Amino acid sequence: MANESNQLLVIKAGQVIDGKSKNVKKDISIVINDNQIVDVKPSGELDIPENLNYKLLDYSDKTVLPGLVDSHVHLTGIGDGRTGDELVTLPDEILSINMANNARIHLQSGVTTVRDCGAKNNTAFHLREAAEMEIAETPRLVLSGRPLAIIGGHLGYFGEEITGEDQCRAAVRYLVKQGADFIKVTATGGSTATSHPLRPSFSQQELNVIAEEAHKFGKHVAAHCASSEAMIRVLNAGIDTIIHGTFKEVDGTNKYREDIAELIAEKGAYVNPTIGAASLKIKTMESKKANDNFTEQDQEELDFIKTEQEHRLECFNKLINLGVPMSAGSDSAWGEYKMGNYFEEIEAHVQGGQSPVEAIMSATDIAAQSCWIDDSLGSIETGKLADILIVSEDPSKQIENLRTVVDVIKDGQLIDRRSLL
Amino acid sequence: MSEQSVIKSKVMIDMVNKNPIEDGAVIFEDGLITLSGNYEKIKNKIRSDAKIYDYKDSVLIPGMVDCHTHHNGFGDGRSGDSVGEIEDDVLTIKSAKNAKTSLYSGVTTIRENGPKNTTMMKLRDAVNQGLAIAPRMVLCGRPIAIIGGHMGYFGGEVTGPVESLALSRQLIKEGVDYFKITATGGSTATSFPLRPSFSQKELNAVTNEAKNYGLLTATHCLSMEGIDNSLNADVDMIIHCNFDNNKGESKFNEKLAEKIAKKGAYVNPTLHVGRARLWSLTMGESPSLGGGENKRFSSSISGDRKDILEARLDAAKLGLETKLDHCRQMIDMGLKVITGSDSSWGDYALGNTFHETELLVESGYSNYQGLESVTINAAMALGLGDTVGSIEKGKSADFAILKNNPLDDIKNLSTVEEVFLMGQHIDRGSDESNKTYSQIKPAQF
Repeated sequence: MANESNQLLVIKAGQVIDGKSKNVKKDISIVINDNQIVDVKPSGELDIPENLNYKLLDYSDKTVLPGLVDSHVHLTGIGDGRTGDELVTLPDEILSINMANNARIHLQSGVTTVRDCGAKNNTAFHLREAAEMEIAETPRLVLSGRPLAIIGGHLGYFGEEITGEDQCRAAVRYLVKQGADFIKVTATGGSTATSHPLRPSFSQQELNVIAEEAHKFGKHVAAHCASSEAMIRVLNAGIDTIIHGTFKEVDGTNKYREDIAELIAEKGAYVNPTIGAASLKIKTMESKKANDNFTEQDQEELDFIKTEQEHRLECFNKLINLGVPMSAGSDSAWGEYKMGNYFEEIEAHVQGGQSPVEAIMSATDIAAQSCWIDDSLGSIETGKLADILIVSEDPSKQIENLRTVVDVIKDGQLIDRRSLL
Repeated sequence: MSEQSVIKSKVMIDMVNKNPIEDGAVIFEDGLITLSGNYEKIKNKIRSDAKIYDYKDSVLIPGMVDCHTHHNGFGDGRSGDSVGEIEDDVLTIKSAKNAKTSLYSGVTTIRENGPKNTTMMKLRDAVNQGLAIAPRMVLCGRPIAIIGGHMGYFGGEVTGPVESLALSRQLIKEGVDYFKITATGGSTATSFPLRPSFSQKELNAVTNEAKNYGLLTATHCLSMEGIDNSLNADVDMIIHCNFDNNKGESKFNEKLAEKIAKKGAYVNPTLHVGRARLWSLTMGESPSLGGGENKRFSSSISGDRKDILEARLDAAKLGLETKLDHCRQMIDMGLKVITGSDSSWGDYALGNTFHETELLVESGYSNYQGLESVTINAAMALGLGDTVGSIEKGKSADFAILKNNPLDDIKNLSTVEEVFLMGQHIDRGSDESNKTYSQIKPAQF
């Protein structure tokens, strides 16, 4: 077992949802040496030599899970409804402060790893520097730095607008040089004012080069797709994660495309559906409806969002029936979705047809797989890094119970969830 | 009608009355104090719907004012030169964290004495946009330095009266509150601490522009010629105020001290930053040369690492003793000596302002005078005497609630339990997190 007795930590769990198995296991002990899980076994079989010193954390009436992996965040966002176009008018220094705050809030909420899908200029890399200098407390960071965009394309304002194969190759190389862990590309337009969400942005050749160059360095690629056509290009380019994956025709009609769904399944791509923001919006508007005066315009907006969400949940359901791995990722703090509320996205996975445990798997092991970090994170098993979440109520019965966070452990260390520093 | 709030305490030290007020209470609205005094005497002015904060076992004082901070700094012994190499984004994150540290420690007003580029102006913008929380900040933007001069690496190097004037105007355009000038060299590797930096004309160009806009000025002075030049230029605060000649001999100069008194300049002696260095050296920490990285400081030090450490320890001890002695003489002469911590410079981390006040008390201040030096007198030194620094009607509702009375022991300034800024009760987070920044005196001291 462990050598350094003073660094040994034993977690006694009432039950464990390990991130990989659909079975909830009762009375399990997890042994952690320094920052690594070195043993997981039934508490009755735990056999620690008497002379060995260890610290015991008794969660025998609680549920223990892997620390959550949020495969889609924008730490740069504020979540107060402002658009990305407005957000980027802030100077890098202010965005950096905001990123550090968001990172702390997300960590304290139970998210021990985030994949950041795009920030302005070098701010994401600078946040990592700050974390390494221990002046910012953050989840583990899987960074893209700046998203690749066409001129005027979605998120182009973050500083990486490129055209043609050579620039695509150069941009990937430069981001990797700066420390990018993956490449984010916007394969359609989005909320960016000058972009076209219903049209593919990059050409097939450009996408091919991006995927080829990223894979050469062992980096994966995640592509923003707000409409159907681009998904075909993205999949043919061998891109690893489809973000949003909204089934929408070029004329704006919602249409599930069996051919594309099958191609996703065939290629083994991950889908990060980002369906929590809309369910959050629906909740907010319905509570507004119950309390305030609700205008006709509000009602129209609510109806529209509900119709859209219905379509997206239907597509989600069809994809999971095809066996497509769904990587949970909140997309917060984009739009109105503030950090620290990843639960919203995970709950939406259940609305889409996953069982609570499956939704938790989407937010742990599957998310870790899609971030290419599942060799060390995303599940509770021997050899994994000790990122652990403890909740007081059983989320396998009701996914909302995931919100009852008691403690968060990252890298074998208890996080001070009440620190405001 | 706006919401009324009331704080009740066991004892209120309002810094108006010399004597503490038993069962002291303060009423405030819209961030401003409307009434204060003994609870029984003022309670009829408390509305039935007032929000009551009952700290019946604690001591109520005005929020502290620290006249000298470096919010970009780390306080872990690293040199300013190496801080200057860090990216602005990273320094801004650090500054935001330091701002919380200082606020949570009971300091509700700071005067920042030199950050890199526009990092602190950006922090202020972030605060104004609700993206950060900080004490009231009095900012210089960046220090004004000669080429290669002290803190020139922060982005404000100029030459000649015209460039000095131009930078002054640029800083005013950026929205600074005062000018910080390095009138001698300092720990900066390329600077000369025992020599004046700017010429008299250059200094005058900056101070004249300051007067033109009603701004105050403060100069960094590690040697006497710099002090003299600063006084000739009507500088409002002399920082460090080392009585060193250009050979490095340190001897109190009464004539120069009298000139400071006559000019009415404030003195910010920065005592603890030297003691913090001593503590670090004693504990074998801070292996970097820190301030001693300056080749001219360390050229006389040779031999192996242990000898170097010993030599540095001796130098730090002597330096501190000398500074304490000179400070005592300035206090005896009645000079306006105030608390300015100089944290997080060198080994002195923000959140520990009381250590500086503690040394002013060791230099001769009474506990009450020590308290004045970090409240009302510090406020006056910053031109904020009408706004902060005491608990009286019309002033900002900035308070620190202490567990123990600083009039019994000035170190009790570190027993902060609650903080209010502009009438807002500050959520300081967990107690554990507030222990992470406190620097404790090593056992041997």
